[in-house]
Amino acid sequence: MAPSSSSGLTFKLHPLVMLNISDHFTRVKTQLNPPSSSCATRNIHTTTKVGATSPQNVRVYGCVIGAQRGRTVEIFNSFELVFDPKSDSLDRSFLVKKQELYQKVFPGFYILGWYSTGRDAVESDMHIHKALMDINESPVYVLLNPATNHAQKDLPVTIYESEFHVIDGIAQPIFVNASYTIETVEAERISVDHVAHLKPSDGGSAATQLAAHLTGIHSAIKMLNSRIRVLFQYLVAMQKGDIPCDNSLLRQASSLLRSLPAAHSEKFNDKFLMEYNDKLLMSYLAMITNCTSNMNEVVDKFKTAYAKKSRTGGRTGGMIPFM
Amino acid sequence: MSSVEAVIKSIQGLSASSRDLSALHDVLKVANESLRADSDLQLSTLDQLDPSKHSLGYLYLLDVLTCGPVPNEVVLLIARFINACDAVQIRLASEKFVSLCKRFKDKVLELRDPLRGVAPLLKAVHKVQVSTKRLTALHPDCLQLCLLAKCYKAGFSVLSDDILEVDQPRDFYLYCYYGGMICIGLKRFQKALELLYNVVTAPMHIVNAIALEAYKKYILVTLIHSGQFSVNLPKCASSAAKTHFKTWCTPYIDVGMCYNDGKISELEAVVVANSSDFEKDKNLGLVKQAVSSLYKRNILRLTQKYLTLSLQDIANMVQLPNAKEAEMHVLQMIQDGQIHALINQKDGMVRFLEDPEQYKTSEMIEIMDSAIQRKIRLSKNLLDMDESLSCDPLYLGKVGRERQRYDFGDDFDTVPQKFAM
Repeated sequence: MAPSSSSGLTFKLHPLVMLNISDHFTRVKTQLNPPSSSCATRNIHTTTKVGATSPQNVRVYGCVIGAQRGRTVEIFNSFELVFDPKSDSLDRSFLVKKQELYQKVFPGFYILGWYSTGRDAVESDMHIHKALMDINESPVYVLLNPATNHAQKDLPVTIYESEFHVIDGIAQPIFVNASYTIETVEAERISVDHVAHLKPSDGGSAATQLAAHLTGIHSAIKMLNSRIRVLFQYLVAMQKGDIPCDNSLLRQASSLLRSLPAAHSEKFNDKFLMEYNDKLLMSYLAMITNCTSNMNEVVDKFKTAYAKKSRTGGRTGGMIPFM
Repeated sequence: MSSVEAVIKSIQGLSASSRDLSALHDVLKVANESLRADSDLQLSTLDQLDPSKHSLGYLYLLDVLTCGPVPNEVVLLIARFINACDAVQIRLASEKFVSLCKRFKDKVLELRDPLRGVAPLLKAVHKVQVSTKRLTALHPDCLQLCLLAKCYKAGFSVLSDDILEVDQPRDFYLYCYYGGMICIGLKRFQKALELLYNVVTAPMHIVNAIALEAYKKYILVTLIHSGQFSVNLPKCASSAAKTHFKTWCTPYIDVGMCYNDGKISELEAVVVANSSDFEKDKNLGLVKQAVSSLYKRNILRLTQKYLTLSLQDIANMVQLPNAKEAEMHVLQMIQDGQIHALINQKDGMVRFLEDPEQYKTSEMIEIMDSAIQRKIRLSKNLLDMDESLSCDPLYLGKVGRERQRYDFGDDFDTVPQKFAM
């Protein structure tokens, strides 16, 4: 729907921004529609007050800040803004105040644009976009789609720029899609990872934590496996001649393979096998314990079902009669 | 059209799909009696049928033909039939197939050529088995033929599946007994011990001969394998076994008690004294193996006391005649993997070592993996057993009754005293 951007700028998005936007959205959604409301009627009353916005349609607005060096626009951080529904625009004084505060903490960062949530960009967004143009002559619009779709592997984040196109004889600014890459620093990666794996506080038993941890590792390995398989099938097809040989891809694949940790030493194999066997022994022990507990249950049930009552009475166990 | 021809036509016509097969089965059941009386039925009539496509009909006709004395050519025919028949059709009439195979086995034994019967019976076992966990009536026959033909490896392949469901206890006793003997023949004493243990501790009201023989072998194999003997049977053995086995197996128990003391000469004296009994039971070979294993046990005990020992000292302590024989014994044990030692031939010293297994080879991974898979299967079976026991009416009745005793409050629903079935 929106054509691709032709400005030639490269956009780099930090994951912190996405976390902030999603956090903002979740908070607002939860405040409007508290999950612990026991009666549904109370819920309806609260939503009618806000003006017929169902929880999924609520939009949050905020500002993104970052730095632009040459042709690269790097979006580092974001903060929330107050949206005035009557005038359909952002609260300017609040924006200025927040900007001053952030300028003090991050001197190198400028307002690069704004963000919102929703599926697609709508017409009213252009007003906000134009309003911001006096701060930054070409602001960016970051749109996050909060409807999570587990089948989709890509991030539901789109970055729009504004360009002047001639429509019906008048030069009008419209939103155009811009491609972006995710960029991160080590420290940021650690904290984002930590936040992403937050568990609810009552799921704190060791078993569930271990299970969650192992599930995470399992899904990561599964994804790695499927990607390697795709590469392998591609290379096999190229070898058989089904697909025309692409030398650059071959070079990339070979460099990837060469960069693998080539630890083929004796000591590595030794330690690796020892650890592997240790883990296998632990699973074996777990399996035996599992079997023993199952066996225990079976024997208990069998005794209850088939034991004769002993003659002295009062004892429920007795000799199990053999057929 | 005579009844034979009618039957043959229906067999040829109705052997295609499973619905037709059940119709054919009913037809054959009805025609069975008339076929028996019919003298038209000859071996040549079987040529009109194809054993792989018309297995069910072929089976019925073969069964009728072999009712009386079995001529020798039929043996070959039956062997070919077993090889070619279709397992699905056979399972519809499994008792007939089993009785046919038993007659085949008897005939083969009569011809004193058990080797001919081994391969067909192995195939027959696989075709009749509904799943690999279930014991069929053919298992013991197959094992018996393997024993008589002395092809132990073929028999061992049958033993490698874990049996978890049994139809007839007698089949199970025979299976474990023959299986134990095959394992003894292959010198796999661990597995033999497991199988014989199953027979010895199997539930029984009165002592049966199979269990008795198994108990005698069990004693001897425990001596060979683990070097210990206890007069008491394991706790889970039936009370009948506990009281009666001892009276019938006194020579073996004497051997066992003597073994525990550890003196070779006394043991040999006991063996010679009772050798006629052992020969009657055909266990003399096993007894001799037990005697030689006493040396091994004594040497093993030495490894626990000493770090190094000279060959002459070993010979003295174990009552071997000279150091050369001690060296041979120690060498044999090292090769079998029973002890870990280094023999220094220059000064005749033996140094005992620890088990060098570090558990860090890839072969270990294979062993562990297969062991874990076996446990997973076992666990699944236990869960199934658990479920089926939970639905057992006997169990539910007893559980309901017990709950009645413990709930005092009005919060509990009143549990009926008996579940009306």
